Amino acid sequence: MSLEGWTPQIGPYLTLEEVVEHAFDYRGDITVVGTDGTEIVGYLFNRAARAPEPFVEMFDDAGQGPIRIRLADIATIRFTGKDTAAGNSWTAWLERQDKERAEKAAASGA
Amino acid sequence: MTVPVSQMVTVASYIVRQKFARRQRYPLVLMLEPLFRCNLACAGCGKIQYPAQILRKQLTVEQCLQAVEECGAPIVAIPGGEPLMHPEIHRIVEALVAKRKYVYLCTNALLLKEKLSLFTPSRHLSFSVHVDGLRDEHDDAVCREGVYDRAVEAIRETVARGFRVTTNTTLFDGASPLRMREFFDEMMSLGVEGMMLSPGYSYSKAPDQEHFLRRTKTQALFARMLANPKRRWKFNQSPLFLRFLMGKHDFECTPWGMPTYNMFGWQRPCYLLQDGYAASFQELMETTEWHRYGRRSGNEKCQDCMVHSGFEATAVNHTFNSLRGFLETVAVTLTRRL
Repeated sequence: MSLEGWTPQIGPYLTLEEVVEHAFDYRGDITVVGTDGTEIVGYLFNRAARAPEPFVEMFDDAGQGPIRIRLADIATIRFTGKDTAAGNSWTAWLERQDKERAEKAAASGA
Repeated sequence: MTVPVSQMVTVASYIVRQKFARRQRYPLVLMLEPLFRCNLACAGCGKIQYPAQILRKQLTVEQCLQAVEECGAPIVAIPGGEPLMHPEIHRIVEALVAKRKYVYLCTNALLLKEKLSLFTPSRHLSFSVHVDGLRDEHDDAVCREGVYDRAVEAIRETVARGFRVTTNTTLFDGASPLRMREFFDEMMSLGVEGMMLSPGYSYSKAPDQEHFLRRTKTQALFARMLANPKRRWKFNQSPLFLRFLMGKHDFECTPWGMPTYNMFGWQRPCYLLQDGYAASFQELMETTEWHRYGRRSGNEKCQDCMVHSGFEATAVNHTFNSLRGFLETVAVTLTRRL
């Protein structure tokens, strides 16, 4: 199931660290919302939860970076970009192949 | 087995130097990913699913050279994405060849004929063409018809122009040992120097999750496929790795053996898993919690993995770690009996 469109609510049942893990695993852009209300959109490619000062790293939506943000400065992360790993292209490919073969067979039979 | 003698000597002397220096962990092959964009979207690939701004980015020549310098491995494999889509790939290769690195430029060959004139034949450069089987199997694997024929055409042209050409083949569940044996015949008849084989790894981001091989199936497939290998088949990899795939060895993974560098940095812990990035090679080696990876660690992501990037280095180390390993390698190489 894709997390695309998810706006997590950080609280007693969901920690920021858990959301960061999901964002790290997500193959689309996310929006980091800072504790000061600022927002950065981009691709989060790294996190270091066990660093002395835990942080995430990302490239923004223009490809600039890497930008390092301390976890202490993050309020939440929204999953705003398209999930590029979602979908099932293998199945789609097989279905397309079957359809094309059936069409060719029908054409040659006609 | 066919790795050129000069390459064998280079690798052997490198390993001996590491042993003398009492280095416990050292890299054998740098996996240098200069970009993620590709002109194919293969079902088994988990490398290219990124937002547009990431797919547009690429490493500079200088970044590539710095990574190679930091790592120090004698062999550099350049996968991707499709490396031939990098506008300066020829400059990267030229610089690495000048440093006397053995370069394996991995390509699906769609752009190979067009770009070939940018390169100069060298014993330090091999085009490693991705071919996953005969026509039907390969075109299915890459999700596009006609790719096999174009790859074959490009291989012929590249061989004719004096380049080293190898093939790299990833095998998935459902592969037919008999068809693969035909495939080996076909590739050798094209004049390739050697073939490289590996079972696929189940990338969590790959679209096709149903056709990855599990460990016992991998061993059964390779045991049948490589039983009584023909003398004309040449494999550009450690024979002990092939024996491992056939179930004749039980190796543990060496994730640092083929470290990966790309636009995100040094990938932890290996070419296949993405568990974060280090800013330098030294940081990668010193701060990665290696005990969390490999089959014996219990890490579920490692349980079915038998991929070359984790185990080929183990196989090569096995050759140099004991007289028995060395003699076994020599015997298999000479007799060609896997």
